[in-house]
Amino acid sequence: MDDYDTIYGSDRGPQITIKEADSRHAQIVLSNCDLAFANALRRIMLAEIPTIAIDIVEIQTNTSVIPDEFLCHRLGMVPLDSTNIDDKLIYTRDCFCDQYCERCSVTLSLHARCTGEDNVTVYARDLVIAEGAQLGSPVINDPEGQGTVICKLRKGQELRLKCIAKKGIAKEHAKWAPTAAVGFEYDPWNKLRHIDYWYEEDAKEEWPKSKYADWEEPPIEGEPFNYDAVPSRFYLDIESAGSLPPDEILQQGIKYLQEKLAAVIETFSNKNETGDGFGDGVRSPGQDYSMGGMGGGGAGYETPYQGGRTPFGGGGFGGATEYGGRLMGGHKCVAAVAMG
Amino acid sequence: MNAPDRFELFLLGDGETKVSMEQDTRQPNAAIFTFNKEDHTLGNLLRATLLHNEHVVFSAYKVPHPLFPKFELRVQTDEETTPKEALLAACQSLIGDLQMLSQKLTREWELNKIARDTS
Ligand SMILES: [Zn+2]
Repeated sequence: MDDYDTIYGSDRGPQITIKEADSRHAQIVLSNCDLAFANALRRIMLAEIPTIAIDIVEIQTNTSVIPDEFLCHRLGMVPLDSTNIDDKLIYTRDCFCDQYCERCSVTLSLHARCTGEDNVTVYARDLVIAEGAQLGSPVINDPEGQGTVICKLRKGQELRLKCIAKKGIAKEHAKWAPTAAVGFEYDPWNKLRHIDYWYEEDAKEEWPKSKYADWEEPPIEGEPFNYDAVPSRFYLDIESAGSLPPDEILQQGIKYLQEKLAAVIETFSNKNETGDGFGDGVRSPGQDYSMGGMGGGGAGYETPYQGGRTPFGGGGFGGATEYGGRLMGGHKCVAAVAMG
Repeated sequence: MNAPDRFELFLLGDGETKVSMEQDTRQPNAAIFTFNKEDHTLGNLLRATLLHNEHVVFSAYKVPHPLFPKFELRVQTDEETTPKEALLAACQSLIGDLQMLSQKLTREWELNKIARDTS
């Protein structure tokens, strides 16, 4: 328990406070860190967290008014449940199969036909997920339980298609973004003067107060400007697109930022040894090393770096506590932290 | 039609390494690191973290061209350390910081959830 207190009770390292949260969004305050750190976290949450989205559509029948490619695009944008994706699915490019298989994809099928006089609306709930799939069911959050609208059909029109959903990141296509938006703000009183407010007569009168203003002390009248001041509190508002809950988005963001950094360390530590497969370029970022050599390199987990193992590569985030404890408990790493 | 595949933004090509280091011959203890398939997310983070190190004299990065997914990080240190060591230390300390953040987040989220469930 001592260890626990020294880690959690300390003021060292970045601090996090949750202001407001539910299953779809989270408002958090990051403090005791610099702008670059907070911004890196924001950027990685926007672009580099894997989710699952429809990537291939095999159309058998489409007699609706919507052209095939239009329909495919709409299907791609439907958020699909991606919780714990790293434990359940691998990237197709890291898989042994030819085009897709159940290890690297989830199949959803859609069959809808309008027979009556009234038009039929096809919703995300009408996508039927393949039996035994561990993830990838359409996200439905509306009170009616319908999900997003895919298409509308008139009498006699029909849709019959098969969708292949794959794992990917938003850097490749925005449909894989786990966030709808990430709000980012700091210095609500503009004490640092990073913003020049445009005004007619008086900026104070004309501009609304930041919603975070009450969280910081207002400036004192006539206070001299502090040229050395840097921002240290950051207000993030994470809005989930539905595929992942906000806490998992944050945790995954942290994890993939760590992976990036670990990859840098790994490059240098492997240069001194015989080339044992590192630099095997096709390995996807965040490829789960523990999945029995399905990934490319297979080097990561045990790679020695300054006597310790690379603090990365072990399983999904669920298994983090084990190496997390070692990482924080070990003197080597605590010393490294203190340097930062 | 001749657009490069989107995954070329983040997947290393054949034989490509994540980072390469070139010693700056004009100054002692200076090096330019070229990061492949990385962007401002890592570039600015490392730049800022390196500047916290008292032995780092200079640290800056640039993206030479927006169409190429790489950046260059120039680091100069004093006699006490080398650019490579400073970079590795920065990565190590960030991994540690992120680990602490992750643990704090887990705890905060649990507390928040309990508060939400009871109210
Ligand atoms: Zn496969």
